[in-house]
Amino acid sequence: MQRKLISGIIGIFIALLIGAIIMLLQGYDPLQTYGALFNFSLFGLFPFATTLRNSVPLILTGLSASVAFASGPINLGQPGQLLMGALFATIGGLYFDLPPWLMIPVLLLLSMLGGALWSGVAAMLRKWFNMDEFITTLMLNMIADFFTFWAISYPFFDRSAYSPMTPQINTKGWLPIWGEFNSNVIVMILAFAVIYFVFNRLTAGYEWRITGHNSLFARLGGVKIDKNYVTVMLVTGALAGLAGGLVVMAGPHRFLKGLGANYAWDGVMIAVVANNGLIGTLLYGLFFSALQTGSLGMELITAVPKEFIMVLQAVIVLVIVAGRGYLDIFLDKTVAKRKARERTT
Amino acid sequence: MQILIEMKEIIKVFPPNVIAVDNVTADFRKGEIHAIVGENGAGKSTLMKVLYGLEHHNQGEIYLEGQRVNFQDPGEAIAHGIGMVHQEILLIPQYTVWENIVMGAEPVNFFGMIDRQTARQLVQKKIDEFQFNLNIDAKVDDISVAAAQKVEILKLLYRNVSVLILDEPTAVLTPQEIPQLFNELRRLRDLGHTILFISHHLEEVLSLSDRITVMRKGKKIATVQASETNKSDLAHMMVGRNVLFTTLREKKTVGKQIFSIENLTYIDGSQHKGLENINFKVHEREIVGIAGVEGNGQFELVNSIMGLIPTKEGSIRVNDVNLTKADILKRRQYISFVSQNRGKMGAAVKASILENVMMTHHRLNPQFTRWKGLLLNDQYARKFTEQIEQQFSVVMDRMDNPFHSLSGGNQQKVILGRELLLATPFVLLDQPTRGLDVGSIEYVHELILEMRDQNRAILLISADLEELFRIADRILVLHRGKIVADLPTDQTDIEEVGYLMLEGKERSCKEN
Amino acid sequence: MNIITGLINGMISGATPILLAALGGTFTFYAGIFNIAMEGMMLAGAFFAVLGSYYFDSWLMGIVCAILGSLLMAVIFIFFAVTLKTDEFVTGIALNLFALGATTYMLRQIFNVKGAFSNPGIVPIPRIHIPLLNQIPVIGEILSGQNLIVYITLLVVFISAFVIFKTRFGLRLRAAGYNAPSLDSSGVSSAKIHIWSLIICGVLCGLAGAFLSLGYVTLFSENMSAGRGWISLAAVILVNGNPWGIALISLLFGFTDGLGLLLQQYMPSQFTSMVPYVATLIALYFYSIQARKRKV
Repeated sequence: MQRKLISGIIGIFIALLIGAIIMLLQGYDPLQTYGALFNFSLFGLFPFATTLRNSVPLILTGLSASVAFASGPINLGQPGQLLMGALFATIGGLYFDLPPWLMIPVLLLLSMLGGALWSGVAAMLRKWFNMDEFITTLMLNMIADFFTFWAISYPFFDRSAYSPMTPQINTKGWLPIWGEFNSNVIVMILAFAVIYFVFNRLTAGYEWRITGHNSLFARLGGVKIDKNYVTVMLVTGALAGLAGGLVVMAGPHRFLKGLGANYAWDGVMIAVVANNGLIGTLLYGLFFSALQTGSLGMELITAVPKEFIMVLQAVIVLVIVAGRGYLDIFLDKTVAKRKARERTT
Repeated sequence: MQILIEMKEIIKVFPPNVIAVDNVTADFRKGEIHAIVGENGAGKSTLMKVLYGLEHHNQGEIYLEGQRVNFQDPGEAIAHGIGMVHQEILLIPQYTVWENIVMGAEPVNFFGMIDRQTARQLVQKKIDEFQFNLNIDAKVDDISVAAAQKVEILKLLYRNVSVLILDEPTAVLTPQEIPQLFNELRRLRDLGHTILFISHHLEEVLSLSDRITVMRKGKKIATVQASETNKSDLAHMMVGRNVLFTTLREKKTVGKQIFSIENLTYIDGSQHKGLENINFKVHEREIVGIAGVEGNGQFELVNSIMGLIPTKEGSIRVNDVNLTKADILKRRQYISFVSQNRGKMGAAVKASILENVMMTHHRLNPQFTRWKGLLLNDQYARKFTEQIEQQFSVVMDRMDNPFHSLSGGNQQKVILGRELLLATPFVLLDQPTRGLDVGSIEYVHELILEMRDQNRAILLISADLEELFRIADRILVLHRGKIVADLPTDQTDIEEVGYLMLEGKERSCKEN
Repeated sequence: MNIITGLINGMISGATPILLAALGGTFTFYAGIFNIAMEGMMLAGAFFAVLGSYYFDSWLMGIVCAILGSLLMAVIFIFFAVTLKTDEFVTGIALNLFALGATTYMLRQIFNVKGAFSNPGIVPIPRIHIPLLNQIPVIGEILSGQNLIVYITLLVVFISAFVIFKTRFGLRLRAAGYNAPSLDSSGVSSAKIHIWSLIICGVLCGLAGAFLSLGYVTLFSENMSAGRGWISLAAVILVNGNPWGIALISLLFGFTDGLGLLLQQYMPSQFTSMVPYVATLIALYFYSIQARKRKV
């Protein structure tokens, strides 16, 4: 645990340093920029609440990727699963009329269903035809992108709108806002708690983890890896779908083009930098959300374009992941050198 | 003979704190066959790898013909005339013999195009020069292991090395193939080459070498003339105490039939018969050994018994329960399994020791879970791990540490503990002592005999004939997927079994 | 007749970027590298192609810059995956995201636009009209008049096959993939081979990107590579690396791209855009069924 924290903090620091150098080369003031960045994301009730709200899709898609990678399946389909989840929730929100205490859970369930369905397709393709989920989930991402685009342009199109989007969903399906805080955070925390419990305390979670380490060993131990594979794909798909539903219900309350943006790929990136650890995913998710939330304010103050954050994120990932392995090797080598010197004295 | 290579006060530490070579000074003379012996983990391989440039020493000096050298990689060593043949065959199976030999030193035309004709000519010339008997166009995948080993040696001779280092060369050969290799090595020595070879087979070492260096736990114990020493002296130096070479088996009466395989045939995807008509039984209080050259069906047999590959023809039974179509979990109620490859099949090395111990028990033993098997019972699992630690004398730190933090011997103890405490009637052991030091090997053998006394039926697959003769009651020989012999141990000997392993049938006339 | 030639030309246009990237991927495939960064390299190539063409007023500089930009991505991959020995999968994903971020960022910074940059100042790569060939009826319209890069691609297929199977470098390249320790013990550094294969991949992906933004159309839009890098990865895996097989598969995918354009008259454009990806799934289906049969 200690090593993980150290390598994380050092990595972020080095990456921020590299970012500062890039900024200096372009003529920007790094201190002012970073200052604005964190001012607009963490210091203050409104910024912090916004960061929290924005972290929800990042953390949920990150969890989806973490759990999948740590259990074996390479589910790269979060982008598509998020979109399908959002679509299902939107459609439910357009056609159902229930009291809020019922409507919201139903819509959330629908979003999970949408995500699970989409990941389920990849799972079945693997189960029946042995098709590698790595490629199928990627292809399904593009297919979902086009499919939802069609859906919001034709059958569910809002006639009064100028660009492809659906009408707003029933207000009873809107997630409540308390002061500055959006209740989507509550849903996210609940989901996190559930998945954490399942992954670490349940027998099923144990089997998933061991399968992720060594599937042959698990198989020989009697673990039903085929059944578990499908379950993990469905669960992780549901997580990504949930993220999509929350984006709709907590944000624009309708499905518009570009919904979900880069959330899901960021989720994969967060899982990678957290080395598939659940708590790490939560923490990095919050951190990346802070970066993204603060980027708008940063642009206002110092004119550094917010897209710079995308570059910074990738640099952080590379530095931390590379540094992780290297730190271990470096520490081990130092101990070895010391031991050798002891022998000759 | 003049001194060719000198290694002075070499120290090599593997991060973080494993001292593999501890202040070793040794010399090797031109034109000799020099053996380096020691048990597993003594440091002999590492010492040679340091010489060869595969590993870098932390302290010490190396001299070649009086000049100080420090090879950074094998390429440098080869350029100076030193070559090493590793224990695992390091060839490209998809390439032919000549492609493997010239790779890295290929004759080329314009544009870097390989000059196939010249290459093949040069290779054939070397084959004839050393009388190696190889087909240059055969794919390495298709030739025998002994032949592949020759290709490795030839690869070095093609580059004109004069010092050959061989790491456990006989480990992959049958008893019949060994004399041929030794003749070739002697011929090379007589032609002026220097041979350094690493081994822990004392009889071979005594018959082949001129001088012998003994290592133990990273230190050099002594260098002696082969003619002036014997097996028990060497063993004493290797292990530090007197070692007995007797068999451990006492005659025990065998009980009822526990395990049976009937008419098992396995045909793989390319229509190749991996197993043909396998028939044998194992009884209570019986240890049945299976001998055979690797690749003759052991893999298919183990996987069929465990359920990793489906059985379409034949049956597998334990205690009269038909397991032929059963899923793996069902089989585990009756079968304990120690695989030959800890890292690949026997454990999840990055997971914790506790997590490794729980496997299979978590499904078969209700005490490991609560809520009808849904929730893990962490407390019970920890108590169980402590039990294994005590009962099997495992040296471990915290059970939450990763499995790979244990030494090889302790890892095997944990695995054995986990498997044996499943309390199944039948135990399948695949190379259980491979890569272990002598102390651990003895411990494992005692454990196996204890299992037998607990009325279990044991099937032991081993490439170590000495091991089989030490503890097995019966020996079966697997050859090209068939059982070609089923002999009580005390009615046969190592030579006969070795011959059966290679030829698949008995010698036509019994020699004395 | 025109429909068919149009279809075939569309097929060739669609196939070219995929084929180039896939050939690059072939080199890394044979070297034993798990390279999923082709998408990022192609995207970088597409951006720098437009940059170079616009600022130097020359399509040749556009190609040069495209290759340099893609090579930059390759160098980053080399630094992390080969030198620092970071996991190749992770490095690839991070690199793709980096390329996406960097090109979007630079699009804004340098050209001051969001979404896409299109400008008459961008010099496209020319088509080549071959004098005698273009007079042959029907086939002439296909053989002649293709974009310069298409002809280069054809050359690259031949050269790749030659290099991989006939040269010393090719022997060592494949050896690195089959059994890297064996290559190292022969005195040839497998790390060096890995580096060269990544550089070659960078060059070819750069060409692919240049074709996308200076040949196919004349603009750069955010995330222009649109998953083609993934399709070329699928192609490499499906064919197990053989350059000729890759050419065939790429043509097939290009065909589906062209087919999609054709079908736009009959169904909403979103469905026709799906065609290449659905086609990849179908191809993967056939491959997986085959693989399964061969196993047991």
